Amino acid sequence: MTLKQILKSVGSCFIAILGLTLFLPVNASAADIGNCLLCHKYPGLSRVDEEGNFRLLYVNEDIFHQSVHSKIQCEGCHTDVKKIPHDPVKKVDCFIQCHVIEPSSEKKFSHKDVRSFLDASVHAKVDEFGNPKKYSEDMPTCLDCHDNPLYRPLSFFKTVRPGISETATGRCRVCHKQDEFIYRFYNHITTRLHKIRNPRNVAEVCARCHDDAEIVKRHELTTRAAYSYGETFHGKAAFFLSERVPDCLDCHVNRGQSVHQMLSSSNPNSITHNNNKDMICSNLDCHPKAAPGFAKYKVHPEFNLDKSPAKYYFTVFFLVLTGGTLLPLMGIMGLDLIRRLFPNAALKRRKKS
Amino acid sequence: MKRQNVIKEKDGKRYFFKFSLNQRFQHITMASCVITLILTGMPLKFKEAFWAPYLYNLFGGIHVAPTVHKIAGSTLLALFAYHLVYVCVTIFKFHIMPLKQKGQLNAGTLIKTLINLPIMPSLKDLEDIRDLLKYLLFISDKPPEGAQFTWKEKFDYWAPFWGIVIIGSSGLIMWNKELITRFLPGEVINFALIAHGDEAVLAMLFLFIWHFYNVHFSLSVFPMGTVFLTGYLSEEQMAEEHYQYYREVMTAAGLEDQMLPHHSRPRKDAGEDVPTPAEYSEYDLAGEAKLTDN
Repeated sequence: MTLKQILKSVGSCFIAILGLTLFLPVNASAADIGNCLLCHKYPGLSRVDEEGNFRLLYVNEDIFHQSVHSKIQCEGCHTDVKKIPHDPVKKVDCFIQCHVIEPSSEKKFSHKDVRSFLDASVHAKVDEFGNPKKYSEDMPTCLDCHDNPLYRPLSFFKTVRPGISETATGRCRVCHKQDEFIYRFYNHITTRLHKIRNPRNVAEVCARCHDDAEIVKRHELTTRAAYSYGETFHGKAAFFLSERVPDCLDCHVNRGQSVHQMLSSSNPNSITHNNNKDMICSNLDCHPKAAPGFAKYKVHPEFNLDKSPAKYYFTVFFLVLTGGTLLPLMGIMGLDLIRRLFPNAALKRRKKS
Repeated sequence: MKRQNVIKEKDGKRYFFKFSLNQRFQHITMASCVITLILTGMPLKFKEAFWAPYLYNLFGGIHVAPTVHKIAGSTLLALFAYHLVYVCVTIFKFHIMPLKQKGQLNAGTLIKTLINLPIMPSLKDLEDIRDLLKYLLFISDKPPEGAQFTWKEKFDYWAPFWGIVIIGSSGLIMWNKELITRFLPGEVINFALIAHGDEAVLAMLFLFIWHFYNVHFSLSVFPMGTVFLTGYLSEEQMAEEHYQYYREVMTAAGLEDQMLPHHSRPRKDAGEDVPTPAEYSEYDLAGEAKLTDN
């Protein structure tokens, strides 16, 4: 190969790469102004931190660009990164002020309101006097529940099918010219009109702590919540991916409030408090004809002698009935099979007549 | 039902009347409902089992299967109501009316009649169970001589009877939970769920293990008993399971000299070996002779 041919190949490669760069989707690198993915795009990028934990530092571009935070610059959250290569970074504080402008107030956006909600909720790390609660380290932080789920679009224009409704986006397009903007805001709004997770997934998220036997014991909780929910029809239907049954949040979050404001059932303001419980079941979307007695149904039943002796013995009765009926009958079946092998054998012979 | 119609001869073989068309219709409707209820109920009971989602999706999954379950349950409950009426009418027609005609109807005779109905558990059933255990444990070589309905059949009748009452009522409670909890505390739904599911598991195991063994898989009837379709028992089955009743029927028909010996087990080649009614007397005589010779 001559030098001319080599230069020609290199040249065409350069033009091809330049061309590809020009035609790449705009959002593919929208958030990466600091060019962080230059290093973090490599799947093997990792290190062992000071505490000896293995840290994977790889960022999957495809997933990141489809995520809720794809428009946020890396340094928007990792505020301590000022130069490249950078020093070990601090944990992200979700309550810092973002670079994004909140459209209704035109002020810089922040999640810091969530902190005040959380601090007044059952999941607060501190008590009402500001003192740390016992085992406050068990209380959830943002990432314990929010694993950056992908959008789950909903269509509610006549035909209900998964995906983005073109009928809806057509209306957006009257005023908004950029499709990228339309799809982002369509997703932004529709994901808030329904839940990002289906009931089964919601129960699975809560189960991370509420089915952990150690945590349940430490905090003296009355039940392994997701497990006992799974024993009811609601839980079973959720398991089979029903979207219509209530999940944890439908009952435990006061109407009109956010999950971050969830209160303990001992709090008189909580919807799960004994005095308010019947409002959960009898709300318009669930059992509007339900009488107050309906809410006395134990939605978290446990097979437990201490907590519910009546239900325990009731269940034991059926177990004993099942065993007591079937085992003797199966014994007779087994003996019958053996007897047929030796039809004439017997200790006492029949009297001849 | 008259005794002389109990025996039917076809192709040189005797068959013994067991179930009327009405009863067979009731049985097959019940069986279809129960199987549907099991298939649409057990995936919920055992939701984590590997087969549960596949089986449930076969019935339309969570959006359709509960409706299928309710339709089958309602049909079964309607059938149960029909059966109760049927039983009352039958008892009135064949047991109470004759008493009335004879002028013997009073509280005592009525209770006695009800207690002595062929399907009611009796002291003889306990004796038969004792004799069966002695036979199965090789203590005796004489199996019990069953009456028109053996203790196994009475068990097969009364167990689902109790089952429908328990499972049906608990199902209705859960279905009409808003209404029920106007009168009863909400916890009744918890108890209903336990009773519904646990009793259903018992019923399923009872039917698929015990009932199916006795009527289909036992070596006497394998691969399938046909009485639930034809309504008639073969003479061999009759002699094996209901010898006392067999003797009564044959005697009433004046055929006692043609009876098969007790505990005749049909062999695989029974087709050739079992004698025709014409040969019975010879067969029986030979049997008698053999017994007396020993």
